[in-house]
Order: sequence, then C-alpha cells, then structure tokens
Amino acid sequence: MLRQMYYHPIHVTIFRMAAQVVPVLTKLFDDYQKTTSSKLKIIDAYMTYILFTGIFQFIYCLLVGTFPFNSFLSGFISTVTSFVLASCLRMQVNQENRSEFTAVSTERAFADFIFANLILHLVVVNFLG
Amino acid sequence: MRWLPTLLLVASIGIQQSFADRVLVLGETAAVKDSHSVFLNSIKERGHELTVRAADDAQLALFKHGQLIFDHLFVLAPGVQVFGGSLSPVEISKFVDAGGNVLIAAGSNIGDALREVAVEHGFEFDEAGTAVIDHHNYDQTLDAGDHTTIVVGKDQIISAELIVGNAAKLGPVLFRGVGLVSGKSNNLALNIVKASGTAFSSDPKAARAVNPSIAGSRTLLIGGLQSRNNARIVFSGSAEFFSNTFLASKTNSVNPLVQGASSGNAELASAISKWVMKESGVIRVKSVNHHKKGETVPPAEDYFITEDVVYTIEIEELKNGKWVPFQGKDVQLEFVRIDPFVRATLKNNNGRLSAAFKLPDVLGVFKFLVDYRRVGYTHLYDVQQVSVRPLWHTQYERFIRSAYPYYASSFSMMAGLVLFSIVYLYHKDTPIKGAKVLDSEKKKN
Repeated sequence: MLRQMYYHPIHVTIFRMAAQVVPVLTKLFDDYQKTTSSKLKIIDAYMTYILFTGIFQFIYCLLVGTFPFNSFLSGFISTVTSFVLASCLRMQVNQENRSEFTAVSTERAFADFIFANLILHLVVVNFLG
Repeated sequence: MRWLPTLLLVASIGIQQSFADRVLVLGETAAVKDSHSVFLNSIKERGHELTVRAADDAQLALFKHGQLIFDHLFVLAPGVQVFGGSLSPVEISKFVDAGGNVLIAAGSNIGDALREVAVEHGFEFDEAGTAVIDHHNYDQTLDAGDHTTIVVGKDQIISAELIVGNAAKLGPVLFRGVGLVSGKSNNLALNIVKASGTAFSSDPKAARAVNPSIAGSRTLLIGGLQSRNNARIVFSGSAEFFSNTFLASKTNSVNPLVQGASSGNAELASAISKWVMKESGVIRVKSVNHHKKGETVPPAEDYFITEDVVYTIEIEELKNGKWVPFQGKDVQLEFVRIDPFVRATLKNNNGRLSAAFKLPDVLGVFKFLVDYRRVGYTHLYDVQQVSVRPLWHTQYERFIRSAYPYYASSFSMMAGLVLFSIVYLYHKDTPIKGAKVLDSEKKKN
C-alpha cells in the first residue's frame, strides 16, 4: 500500500467529501421513502413544521429582544414541548419499536399524546400574557 | 377621630407644663442663692420653678413613688463628698435614664460625689486640689498669681449655635476650676469648651508641674452629652463660671489676641442652661404621611412595585417655648429593607419636608425611615412600615405588539395539533412492501 502522500487543495478535498456525502443522503432519502410508513411520515411533517416555528421564534427573540419574556418563553416552550410530545408519539407508534412498548397500543399512545398536549396548551395560554 | 381634639388639648397642656420646669439647685450651702443669684434668677425669669438646697440636705430626693419630682438637676456644689438624702451618683444616673437633665459644676475642691457622677457618664474630672493652669491665657486682674483664672477665646468653644448661642458675638469667657476629659469610648461626648494648647491640669501650689495628668486642648473645661433617651448632661469644671463675679466681670487677658470688654460668661451660661434644660435644640415629628402620587392617603392595602410615591413629614422645633416649623434642609429619608434602597434629601417647605420617588422594582416589607442626628438637636427617629408587593396577575400589560409572533406561534401550535390529529386519525396506513418486520413480531403473528 505504498502511496505517495499528496495533499490536494482544500476545495478539492471538500468537493470530494461532498461527492461522497451525496450518495449517502440519496440512499437515506430513498430508504425513508420506501420503508417508512405513511403515518410516521405525517408525524415527521408535523415535527418539521414545529421545528421551523421554534427556530423562527428564537431568531425573532434574538433580533427584537426578550421584552415580553413570558410570551417568548410561552411560545418557544410550546414548540419545544410539542416537538418532544410528537417524537414520543412517533416512538410509540413505530412498528419497529413494538417490542419496547408492548403495554402501549397505538391508540393508547395517541390518547396520551392528546392529553399531554391539552395540559401543555392550558399552561401556555395561561402564561402567554 | 373624636378623640383628636382631646388629644390636642392634652398635648397643649403638656407644652405649657413642660415650659414651667421644676429645677433642683444644689449648692455647698444655701448661700449659692446669693453667690450665683444672677444665673439662677435668669432661669427663674424664664418661667421655671427653682428649689435651692444644700447638697448634704437630708431631705433630698429626685423620685417620689417612682415619679420624677424635678425635671432638671443643677449641682453647683464642687466640694460635696456625699450627697444628702436619697441622692447619690447612682440615683443621678437613674434620674438621667428617666429623662431628667443634669448640670454639674465642679471646682478645684472637687469631692468624690461629683467625680463619681462624671465617671457614670463617660467623663473624668482631675483629682481634688488640681486646677487648669494656663500661663499664656490667664486674667491679669482676677488672677491671684497662680494663673488658674483663665480666659477662653471663641475658637475653643464648640461650633454649635444650639448649645453655645452665637459664638461669634461672644466675649472672652472666664474660667477657674478643675479639668475634665471625656472617656475614649464615650461616642456621645461633646467638647463644649476645651482648653487652649498651652493649658494643663496640675496642682497650682506645687513648685513644679510634674507630668500633668491632662494637658493641652484635650483638657475639657465644659463637656456635655445627650444620652440615647435625649436627656442632657453638662459638666463644667468651674462653678465660678456661673457665679455673679464672673458673669459681671470685665476681662483682661494676658494674651493680646483674646480681648474683649466684658466677659461672655452670662451669654454662654444662659445658652448652655437653655440647651441643658431642653429649651433649645428640641425637635419633634408632628405628622407623617405617605401616599401614591396623585392621592392623599396611604393605600388601603399595599404599595405595588415601581409606583410613584410621595412622603411628607412635618417637623417642629421648640423655640422660645413655642413649637414652630423646623427649617433644617439636611433631613434625609431612607426607604429601607435591611439596606436602604432609596435615600433622598427632603425638601423643606416651612416645616413640611417631602420627597417624591419611585419605589424600587423589589418586593418586600420596607420602612420609610427618618433618622436625624445633629449636634445640639434631640434625636429624631421615625419609622413607617409598608409592604411593597408584586403586580397582580391582571395588572400586567396585555397584547404587546412585539409579542404578537409568540401569540401567533402558540396558537398555530394548537391549530397544528388539531389539524395533525384529524389527518393522523383519518389516514389509512398502506402497508409498505419490504418493510422490515422484527423477528419477534413474526413469531407473534
């Protein structure tokens, strides 16, 4: 394995790395399309929406300042918690995790999700302003 | 409020009575009536009731059934060794504790009784037989040759108009008697008249002064203090300072810088007696009010943080027997919760001192505190406790513009949840070909 050490210019290195990453991502996307159930895709879409709302609020807070701090906390924590609850739901309804949650049926998981959300939004509205 | 007129009546009677004070004057013999008649008569003319006794009179008492029977005690008896009756240095301390005022005048023949009284109050007279000697400030006419009749200049007198009157107009003061020092730990001591730098305290008969126990301007000629309960005590090393001879005398100091036609003893003795008898330098609180800005009475419950408040205190000063508005401009108000959060100088509008400020953004139990201590004045202390509480849940600002994105996001989370629930529940999952099914699942199925 004698190979002469040769250092490429940095942009070449990056290009090569990108070239390696692209097929990985393509494979990932394809697998996702093929193997993920459509219910989980709906949850994923919901979570993406939550994620962007949260990021938007955080940037807004950085730009405008923390003045109605309770409102900021309320809005931001509402997105964070919604995200967490949605991810919990996703874990519980995922068929691949069936063995982990034998005691929790998918219906039960959804009911828990709704109940937790109710409490969350009660608190959020109360604290909003 | 029905009792208010009655209270005012009682108060006004109290003022009348306090002006006709009862004074017990003790001399070595009753002859003090004659030797100090000018001084004593001036006090009588101010409307006080004098009782003159010998210091060893067997009937002497300051208390009767636990009540003061005199308001002031003047001891013009330097040589007294043991007081008569129930009077004693300890009894005099009790008298001061009960609010009585004391003037002690000693002399070179000072006895143990007065030295003990001085020690009880944080002062110490020099021993019997000694005198304050000043070879550079004695009076050429009155002195007998031992330079103990000393002439005191204005600069040796405390700069406190309430205690010594107008010192600028005062003539030189004659003094003959024993020296005095205040204890190091006596924080209340006032050096009313101190000796000059060339003075020392020693036995005038001795051929040579060896290590005088007190020397220089540390030597006090007249010292005083106002105790924590506002009782006043003055120690003079000289009873002759108050005597007719010195009050009427002309001065003839050996020091050309301290000259003046007649002695200032009369004015100084009068001013000091007024101070010690609480005719001057007495202030009191007439009323205190605090309220929110734009209102007139304190809030029914509590103050809230960051409110604007106005504090007003009315202070009165006793002048010539009448309570008149206090004119001091250096009274400070503190808003205290252990530490002061606000400190403001009160604006004086003819006795009504007020300050307006914003409450701190801190909740807790606070005090409006006025703690006014000035040399010559009685201690003025007033505390009003108030609670400062945080805003009610409903008192905060609503619908703030800059918070609209947060509101929108929160409600979009709720709407999103509903939408998601509908889509999720009504969605029929299509089985995916090639989906991995765990071995455990297979077995179950």
